[in-house]
Amino acid sequence: MIYKRSELGDNIGFSTIIDEKFKTCSLAVFFLTELSNDTAAVNTLATSILTTSSSRYRSYAALSEKLSELYGAGLGSSARKKGDAQILSIRASWLDSRYAIDGEDIGSEMRELIRDCLFSPNAENGAFDEASFAIAKKDLLDRIDGELNQKRSYALAQAAKLAYRGEPAECTGYGSREAALAATPGDAFRAYCQLMKTAQIEIYYVTPREDDSFAEMFRSSFGSSDRQPKSVNMRNHSPLKAEVETVSEEFDVNQCKAVMAFKTDSDDIYALKMLSLIYGEMPFSKLFLNVREKMSLCYYCASHSVSVKGAFFVDCGVERSNIEKAEAEIKAQLNEIRQGNITDMEMEGSLMALDNAVLQIGDTPSSYISWYFDCFCDGDIISPEEHFRRFTEVTRERIVEAANSLKPDSIYLMLNKEVQG
Amino acid sequence: MEKEILTSSRTGDSCIHVKHSSGLDVYICEMNGFSSIEALIGTKYGSVNNIFKNAADSDYTTVPEGIAHFLEHKLFENEDCGVFELYARTGASCNAFTSFDKTCYLFSCSKNYEENLKILLDFVQKPYFTKENVDKEMGIIGQEIKMTNDNPEWRVFFNMLRGMYHAHPIKIDIAGTVESIAQIDADLLYKCYDAFYNLNNMVLSIAGNISADKVLEICDQCLKPSADKGLETVFPEEPAEIVTSEVTEKLPIGASIFQLGYKCTPSEGAQRLKDVAAASTAAALLTDPALPMCERLLNEETINSTFDGEVFYGSDYFTVFFSGESDRPHEVREALIAEIDRLITEGIREKDFQRIKKTAYGAMIRGLNNVEAVSNLMLSAHMDGTGPYDAIEVLSDLTCADVIDYMRREMRPDRSVLSIIEKEA
Repeated sequence: MIYKRSELGDNIGFSTIIDEKFKTCSLAVFFLTELSNDTAAVNTLATSILTTSSSRYRSYAALSEKLSELYGAGLGSSARKKGDAQILSIRASWLDSRYAIDGEDIGSEMRELIRDCLFSPNAENGAFDEASFAIAKKDLLDRIDGELNQKRSYALAQAAKLAYRGEPAECTGYGSREAALAATPGDAFRAYCQLMKTAQIEIYYVTPREDDSFAEMFRSSFGSSDRQPKSVNMRNHSPLKAEVETVSEEFDVNQCKAVMAFKTDSDDIYALKMLSLIYGEMPFSKLFLNVREKMSLCYYCASHSVSVKGAFFVDCGVERSNIEKAEAEIKAQLNEIRQGNITDMEMEGSLMALDNAVLQIGDTPSSYISWYFDCFCDGDIISPEEHFRRFTEVTRERIVEAANSLKPDSIYLMLNKEVQG
Repeated sequence: MEKEILTSSRTGDSCIHVKHSSGLDVYICEMNGFSSIEALIGTKYGSVNNIFKNAADSDYTTVPEGIAHFLEHKLFENEDCGVFELYARTGASCNAFTSFDKTCYLFSCSKNYEENLKILLDFVQKPYFTKENVDKEMGIIGQEIKMTNDNPEWRVFFNMLRGMYHAHPIKIDIAGTVESIAQIDADLLYKCYDAFYNLNNMVLSIAGNISADKVLEICDQCLKPSADKGLETVFPEEPAEIVTSEVTEKLPIGASIFQLGYKCTPSEGAQRLKDVAAASTAAALLTDPALPMCERLLNEETINSTFDGEVFYGSDYFTVFFSGESDRPHEVREALIAEIDRLITEGIREKDFQRIKKTAYGAMIRGLNNVEAVSNLMLSAHMDGTGPYDAIEVLSDLTCADVIDYMRREMRPDRSVLSIIEKEA
């Protein structure tokens, strides 16, 4: 594998990852910008429309037809948050041309198509095409409405909203319903122009062979555009609430959900990750072995660390009558770690799992992209091996310290109605 | 024990198949340049296999719903410790799943695959069921059942199957119900284990950074010879007709969803592969945003970009179904019925047909680019009675006429079921 990164312009990075084992090529363009309730939805719409039509393929139907002619090439967008930043992305993947039955040059066609979508969008008079906008807007509104369809992710999102109240990260990565509903094709086009001007842009191209044509296309397309990039500060520790706040909602559900949010002032991201592995990310973790296996209270009970916000979450699905029992055991297992009760197996198992995971990074184009983009966000471009080495330096003491730094902040409960009272 | 090399003439990909002397079918794909290893061992035993007997048994045994899934949970515990603990020592990620017609145990790793494979082969051959560990699992699986019952995609799918099938156990939830699993005990688990976890009923599939010779050496060390006991499973007689054409349920959700399924004639082996290719192509055409019906539904905001089509099949069941989010699912149904009728009458444009075939071909090549997908492909193809690369060949031979003929025969309005999950008011 060969990795190289160059700057195409002011805060526009282009990374090429060459790995000859792949039968496909992949491209991802990331736009990093401030997360704000005012702009998140319209930014999401702007990037979504870019993958719905272009000035050459002027409808979703025409663009879809072209993509399917190119052996079902993929083109899509996504919007999410990382800390207090909004991360918008355009992603594409296609078969390497050597697999084209009819000898098409799929790569060249995709290069032209992507250039057209990104730099020559389907817009006139300062507004996106209305039909493409309507499709993107409906998709976004349905996605927002559909949050409640997935109960576990809904509960986690509500817990994050509660824990980060008053901070940019309170907002979802794709914006609110009100903002999406109010957005117009003109608003979305202005958001597109603003992103091209002010967002930090990182581009990743995974290819089985040396190919500079995409870097050159982006270099010439950005050309001498008037860039005024704004720095994005995604790492902001969320302040601890003076008192633990509990919010509950009732629905006609079969299973209740409990999410406990903790805050930490620790910046020891490696110790926090090791803590989470030992506490609740793995089938050998304390939460799995005790809350699930010993006490049979839950099917899942897991933890994860959000180090960019100094937050740490534990979530489980549980009977309403067992919520207190589960919460008590979740706290008891954290106290075990605080007291240094960490076995050799837990330490070694966590490191072994990390070692295996790190080695698998190069096995899919998307994992390469995620790895290098996460490094970019952390401001520390290191190899997966170096990443693992830093975990090996984490001592029990650092994990205990990380556990002791966790302070209860808020609790979200999704309750069922039938056993109320 | 002979090595059979299976090769795709279209892509050049190949893998090895061995019928191991123990009775186990073994598929191995060495993938140069990849770091990871994915291994699955599966048995042809899923939630639908509730009535069975061995050749020596005089009568069929009927077992409670959800027992295959329960057994999957319990096989993760052996007498000394849990399987998760063993894998924690090697760093592998391990898991298992039960579907309608199979149960699989798997690990993923990039180091110590030899040790991981030994653990996998060992624990699936070493059941340990006791009253205590069975009772303990009731609460955990009970919570899993409740969790899936809150999943609207799960509900809309099972409601569709209940609208389609009168008697076939495909309509029953994979994990059973809290009531049905309460009937499960250690003896019943052993009975099911003895019947279905016979190596002649199982397959091992392993792909990635491996040596085929090493894999076979470990198989020789770890697999205990298994006599074929002539397992038979039966299903209740299922009429071709559906139960009801529409099922609606209200749930606490934010976006209403639907599935529209066609009850089709089940098939096996090579014929099934052809049916799957024809049905998948029909589904792709009917959900293609480039074609007028889908374009109109999108522009009228009847559907959104989640609209999709799938083929779902197994022992004695086969459906083509369409799913998505919509507040107007009846309009989707009308549009689909009219479009199928139009395609049957007017035919499919050759250009569109070739485009859809190219897309399917592209997806198959992508699957061969991924260690996990390759290990799953080898296992699934074997369980379907085909080879891993047969689908690419069948696709290349597929014609417009095959697809039209399939739609005419199988995608009949009177065999369609619309399942809707509406938002609670």
